[in-house]
Amino acid sequence: MSVSNLLENWSDFRHTHPVDDVPHNPYKWAMSIDLDACSGCNACSVACYAENNLPVVGKDKYAHGYAMHWMRIERYWDEDGRDFPDQGAQFLPMMCQQCEAAPCETVCPVGATNHTPDGINSQIYNRCIGSRYCEANCPYKVRYFNWYDYPTTDNVWPAEMNQQLNPDVTVRGKGVMEKCTFCIQRVTVAKNNAKNEGRLVHDGEVWTACQQACPTGAITFGNLVDPESKVHKQWQAQQVELAKDAQTKDKEEGGSELRGYRIFEELRPYPSVMYLERVRESAV
Amino acid sequence: MMNSGSVKHLAGHPFDRRDFLKVLGWGGAAVALSGCGNGSVEDGKETVVSYVETNDYMIPSISVYFNSTCAQCDAGCSITGRIREGRVLKLEGNPNSAINRGKTCGLGQAGVQHHYNPDRVREPLLRNGDQGEAITWEKAYALIAEKLNGVSGEEIAFLTGGVSGHLKVLLGNYLDSFGSKNHFVYEAVGPAVLRAANKKSYGVEMPRFNINKAKVVLSFGADFLGAWISPVHFSQQYAQFRKGVDGQRGVLVQIESKMTLTGANADRWLVVRPGTEGILALGIINALGTATGDIAAAVKGYDKARVSKDTGVSAEQIDKIVALLKERTPSLVLAGSAAEGYAHGSQNAAAINLLNQVLGNVGKTVEAAAVVPFPQMAPATGNTFALKTLNDGLNAGKYKVLFSYAANPVFTAPGAMKFKDNLAKAGFKVAFTHYLDETAMQADLVLPLDSALEDWGTQVPEYMAEGAQINIQQPLMEKLHANTRGMGDILLALIKLRRADDYKKYDDYYAYLRAAVLQNKGALGGGVADDDTFWNETLSKGIIKLASAAHALSGKAGAAGLSLPAPSAIDAQYPLQLIPSVNASLRDGRNTNQPWLQESPDPLTTIVWDSWVEIHPRKAAELGIVEGDIVEVTGKNGSIKVQAYLFPGIHPDAISIPLGRGHEALGRYAKGYGVNPFQILDMVFDKETGELALHETRVKVSKTGSRVIVVKDEGPAGGSQMGKKIAARLPSDKVKLSEEVYYVG
Amino acid sequence: MKDISEDIAWAKINTDVLKSLENPRKLYWVILLIAIAMVGVAAGCEVYQYNTGMGVSNKNNTHVWGLYIATFIFWIGMSHSGTLLSAILHLMHADWRKPIYRFAEAMTTFSLMTAGLFVAVHLGRVWQIYYALPYPNGRQVWPNFQSPLLWDAMAIFTYLSSSILFLYVGMIPDLAICRDHLHPGWRKTLYTALSLGWEGTDRQWRNFRVTYLTIACFLIPLAVSVHSIVASDFAMSQQPGWHITSFPPYFVAGALYSGCAAIITLFIILRYVFKFEEYMTLPILKKIVRLTFAIAMVWTYLNLIEYASVWYGHDQASKDVLIQKATGVYAPFWWMMNFCGSIVPLILFFKRFQTHIPVLFAVSLLLNMGMWLERWMIVAPTFSHGYYPWTWDHDQWPSLVQWGMVFGSFGWFTLLFMVFCKVFPSVSMYEVKEMVYHRSQATKKLEVTGNLAAAGKGAH
Ligand SMILES: Nc1nc2c(c(=O)[nH]1)N[C@H]1C(S)=C(S)[C@@H](COP(=O)(O)OP(=O)(O)OC[C@H]3O[C@@H](n4cnc5c(=O)[nH]c(N)nc54)[C@H](O)[C@@H]3O)O[C@H]1N2
Ligand SMILES: Nc1nc2c(c(=O)[nH]1)N[C@H]1C(S)=C(S)[C@@H](COP(=O)(O)OP(=O)(O)OC[C@H]3O[C@@H](n4cnc5c(=O)[nH]c(N)nc54)[C@H](O)[C@@H]3O)O[C@H]1N2
Ligand code: SF4
Ligand code: SF4
Ligand code: SF4
Ligand code: SF4
Ligand code: SF4
Repeated sequence: MSVSNLLENWSDFRHTHPVDDVPHNPYKWAMSIDLDACSGCNACSVACYAENNLPVVGKDKYAHGYAMHWMRIERYWDEDGRDFPDQGAQFLPMMCQQCEAAPCETVCPVGATNHTPDGINSQIYNRCIGSRYCEANCPYKVRYFNWYDYPTTDNVWPAEMNQQLNPDVTVRGKGVMEKCTFCIQRVTVAKNNAKNEGRLVHDGEVWTACQQACPTGAITFGNLVDPESKVHKQWQAQQVELAKDAQTKDKEEGGSELRGYRIFEELRPYPSVMYLERVRESAV
Repeated sequence: MMNSGSVKHLAGHPFDRRDFLKVLGWGGAAVALSGCGNGSVEDGKETVVSYVETNDYMIPSISVYFNSTCAQCDAGCSITGRIREGRVLKLEGNPNSAINRGKTCGLGQAGVQHHYNPDRVREPLLRNGDQGEAITWEKAYALIAEKLNGVSGEEIAFLTGGVSGHLKVLLGNYLDSFGSKNHFVYEAVGPAVLRAANKKSYGVEMPRFNINKAKVVLSFGADFLGAWISPVHFSQQYAQFRKGVDGQRGVLVQIESKMTLTGANADRWLVVRPGTEGILALGIINALGTATGDIAAAVKGYDKARVSKDTGVSAEQIDKIVALLKERTPSLVLAGSAAEGYAHGSQNAAAINLLNQVLGNVGKTVEAAAVVPFPQMAPATGNTFALKTLNDGLNAGKYKVLFSYAANPVFTAPGAMKFKDNLAKAGFKVAFTHYLDETAMQADLVLPLDSALEDWGTQVPEYMAEGAQINIQQPLMEKLHANTRGMGDILLALIKLRRADDYKKYDDYYAYLRAAVLQNKGALGGGVADDDTFWNETLSKGIIKLASAAHALSGKAGAAGLSLPAPSAIDAQYPLQLIPSVNASLRDGRNTNQPWLQESPDPLTTIVWDSWVEIHPRKAAELGIVEGDIVEVTGKNGSIKVQAYLFPGIHPDAISIPLGRGHEALGRYAKGYGVNPFQILDMVFDKETGELALHETRVKVSKTGSRVIVVKDEGPAGGSQMGKKIAARLPSDKVKLSEEVYYVG
Repeated sequence: MKDISEDIAWAKINTDVLKSLENPRKLYWVILLIAIAMVGVAAGCEVYQYNTGMGVSNKNNTHVWGLYIATFIFWIGMSHSGTLLSAILHLMHADWRKPIYRFAEAMTTFSLMTAGLFVAVHLGRVWQIYYALPYPNGRQVWPNFQSPLLWDAMAIFTYLSSSILFLYVGMIPDLAICRDHLHPGWRKTLYTALSLGWEGTDRQWRNFRVTYLTIACFLIPLAVSVHSIVASDFAMSQQPGWHITSFPPYFVAGALYSGCAAIITLFIILRYVFKFEEYMTLPILKKIVRLTFAIAMVWTYLNLIEYASVWYGHDQASKDVLIQKATGVYAPFWWMMNFCGSIVPLILFFKRFQTHIPVLFAVSLLLNMGMWLERWMIVAPTFSHGYYPWTWDHDQWPSLVQWGMVFGSFGWFTLLFMVFCKVFPSVSMYEVKEMVYHRSQATKKLEVTGNLAAAGKGAH
């Protein structure tokens, strides 16, 4: 322990979006979500509860805004003043966008939320002191705080229900922040297996829980660095580049005919989740 | 590996750990598991097993996976349970099933909460006044034998939900054993009218609908992405349909009076006057102008002006649909529950099905389904008509003994049926159940069942996706409670009381099941494999895929007998049509006690933990109602008080309340949340099938003066993105889908 | 209007001031008990919140900060009073500060101590608060030096320790007086220890002057930095309504403003309670009032700059927050804040009111209410109406636990202050003597040159 160590290694303590001298290697986890496929069915959200030990807070606490859904499905309506939403609704699965330059990370006083070398915004529950600055600064408001001690709250995990808890995922006590982790426990297992076998994780070896459940296959997850991965190919086909805050294709006259976009790119968090725009038939 | 001789007491006694391991050892991928038990070291109940000296294949902290079948609804998706240290932790879809190909819906995900539910019944309970008194199984069986003594077959009734597979066979045999034909299969929200209409139109009750092969889907209220028939299967097809056939993105037009999840995903959602779906279908046939013969004659009167006036769908819109249908083929027309829920529901469905015929979709996007070559295992599908028959019998005091399993009519029967009162007239009521639901609360004897994740079984889905298949259900872990029993084991025990000789060779239902499967090894694709190998493989796969022929499909029903009533005039006293909606998670309310589902927001309103009534903003303004107003919804058969939610996706002359909530029993997560619209349904029935017309209830809405804050995920911005690019959208002529990289599944 | 008389006997100064250390009047005990009861309320709230979870404060996942942070900023702002009067005016040789700087310094210290508590109370896991300190540990885990919250912690810690030092050093000569005037007892022991053997020798005075001046010089940038850093908590974030460049000066101005206003309040109270009319004279009050007015105008200017830069900027989200402040659920508080902060101080422009004690008392309270509201209106509306419309939450209302904690903090401050006033001389005796001496020297000079009448000072 020394200050000199701190000074020497400071840059290593923090990983941000890839710069030339620190590229993501060999992993950069990323996602794409096809809004034209997503039906808004909520299966992903429930799967996340099951996988990640999310507490069910109950009606009263939900009413107070304490819901813990790491994955929330938002429903938007058109706003052109028509009597009926005759083009349906717009659904948006929203969870932590695993920003490369995450606004939540820089502000955390204790470094409890920080960047992993493989590009995930991680959350260290043990380190978190509950200042909630991270959520204050998250543009997407996808961080969820343990306002109460859910493990000891009535009817959250009463006897037997507690046996369902995933032993690979911490049960969070009161006072810490949490959020979607890209199912880091699954990623870790896959990485370790690959490491033991002296190879890299291959595409499709690790699925996030939401992806695995999703009946429409709207969610794709994988290693953006791997040129063979589906997620890489999708990003590439959509000409969305991770390290850009405005995509070249969007500068074209009349907009691009590609559907890929990232939410709030202009705020420069460099999110790792690309959405594909929903399509609506023009002929009817 | 092990031989079957070592399998003892799979039911009827608490599992012996080693035996349990072996059973799963057969089914699993060469890894077994050990239990941590369900007590703890502290309370002295745990069997302490060192991880350093474990059972044969067990690796602590390494998960093992076993295949089984989702029991959360009747779609029959295959699941894979993740088990660690002897506990099932998570359910995923089994990729080998053509029904769900590795996927699940949210309801399926919550299956573990059915299993671990703290409100499960743990002991056989005998009514003693208002109390349930715990008794032994021996006593329970003896009591049933005593009550059946001297009772004729006609005086015994067995009420169940949809059943299939070997359980259905065993149940049939049991009823046979006392000469009873009174098996009532009741499904509160099953597609009963559709089955009958399909039978007429296509010659089969449940053909295959190939959404993924259609370029246009015209759905009359079929919520195939939500709660209709086989939603996971259809969702996958839908995703392919959106990716396009020959590079042409599929177009979904949804026609309904209350927007469903599917409607919310439509390219064009058309609000239609409740009950006029059939008229619109005939109008479209007329406008297509391709029909000939009696069909052309039948639709002659349905010109655009009239249809537009009757249905509220504009003539231009009909033109657009017609143009689309002409331009893009094949298409697929679906008749959903919304169209069926009327007194003329069968007519509506027939008219809609006719459209498929006219468009030449039959045989292309409407295909024959594969047949399971064991008719005795085919699903017994249910309807409200069956319940009505039972109810009449009960009312007439016909039944001395009533068994009920997997149905909760006290909750789901229309209040006006007075089912609860009539039920009291049965002499002795036995409920086989997981929880004390409303019906079990009325029983004299409550027999606690193993959860679906602890029990053995086979299931034959009604909707066959591709080839025919039989689904295997096997325990994913040790029983949680020592004194619950599998339904199969109970039936076997009961039937042994009557036909001991026939069944004495089966120690338990597991043995029965195994023997029954092995007996048909050849037909089940076992070939020359030895019994153990075949059985182990079967359990390991979780599915038996069968080579089988398809049903014959006919597409020439024609328009004979088609007559649609003119839209009904608005009733001055009860001006609004009540649409009870079926939500993908809560369905008819049997899963409401799974807290993940209670807290999973309704996709359209984002409301949690409560019921609501959807009112169109225009109507609400007329009535002076704002969000959160507690309104009284009054019909001829009573009234309920519920919070109002202003919802643009509903016909102004209709209101909608979701089914599934409003329990008075069913445990801590269900009881006391929301209201039960079943209670106020009018007793109107489909004229042809006698099925309850779910959408025929007329009501009025009045303010009570109190107001609550609606508990929902949506914030004060409502569904507005405030001009930000959050959930973005492009018109189809602005995208080059063919240049994209797609991955489905 | 009577200023401090220059012929007041030094011995009288001692007796007058030391009188304030005598056994308190009944009123003192009453106020003290009320203060303790208020602290009790806050303590009860904290115990409840600690045991049950932050949820009892009624914030939520959108609205993660509330009154704790707002009140924290408020108290930090208050703390600028002492630095202003003591350090800045000391360097500027404004001798009118002398009779009042002591209590202003005490205010600084105590408001910082109050502010610090809000940091603790705000944390979800206060029991791990030390994670925010860069303490030596084997795992080489450091706090995150990028986080403004960490700068905050450090700045406050430094500011608090320096303020205590400043207060203490400035008190040494007076502590010696106390030591010399008191009968043996715990107090005498205390003063003996604290006065560090002060004898008033030449060397001691010289060292004292240098030390005091050094700390004063050190304190001024610290005060500016501390509120700039608090401003950074917001300005360095990316949120609409917070991400504003002018926040640091705006916060500093606000801090000085509320500090001045608080001085007026306490000035009036002390003057009345301890009968310090001879020292805390109206001409001094007038000077503070004029200073307050000037700062009010600076604050108003910076406030308008903020609105204008948002309005004419092209960040729609920030504009929306501003509109929401002016028209949404917070509108009453926002307008009240602007009224109290910019309109009420206009009264101070009128000479008549610059020494009108009842009016000044009311005005000073209103100004501080305005300043408290200002902090709340910075914190809350951004949460309720941030970037992401789906999570907007316009209904968040602090629970009684939050209010209880805010309420209790005033008790806590009062408690500390009251105890201080009874244990330490709240008027600097030696500096008042100095002041009197300087003035009498000046008067003499005028008398000698015969310019007394010309200088407008009549015979006394
Ligand atoms: N949750 C949980 N916590 C536990 C326990 C438990 O059962 N469960 N058990 C407790 C017990 S008994 C123990 S002993 C401790 C063990 O605690 P740890 O010592 O922390 O345990 P490991 O995770 O086994 O090993 C630590 C690291 O050593 C690395 N490693 C392996 N080989 C080498 C090597 O040759 N050189 C170096 N430098 N590193 C190597 C591994 O990759 C791993 O990252 O955990 C205790 N804590
Ligand atoms: N693969 C692998 N193997 C390892 C290690 C590893 O890292 N990886 N680590 C090694 C190390 S460092 C260790 S220390 C050993 C640990 O090996 P073990 O000592 O076997 O440790 P556990 O399995 O943690 O605990 C043993 C049993 O004690 C029971 N138990 C818990 N509390 C009590 C109690 O109060 N009384 C009694 N009677 N029983 C109790 C538990 O339920 C459990 O069944 O494993 C070693 N083996
Ligand atoms: S989305 Fe929010 S929580 Fe996630 S990395 Fe970005 S700023 Fe952090
Ligand atoms: S809540 Fe936890 S993770 Fe977030 S900023 Fe505070 S300490 Fe860091
Ligand atoms: S990636 Fe994992 S943690 Fe994140 S939303 Fe999906 S299931 Fe939840
Ligand atoms: S599971 Fe898939 S389709 Fe359903 S809401 Fe989630 S992303 Fe959308
Ligand atoms: S549709 Fe859902 S609930 Fe029904 S069987 Fe499939 S996964 Fe289970």
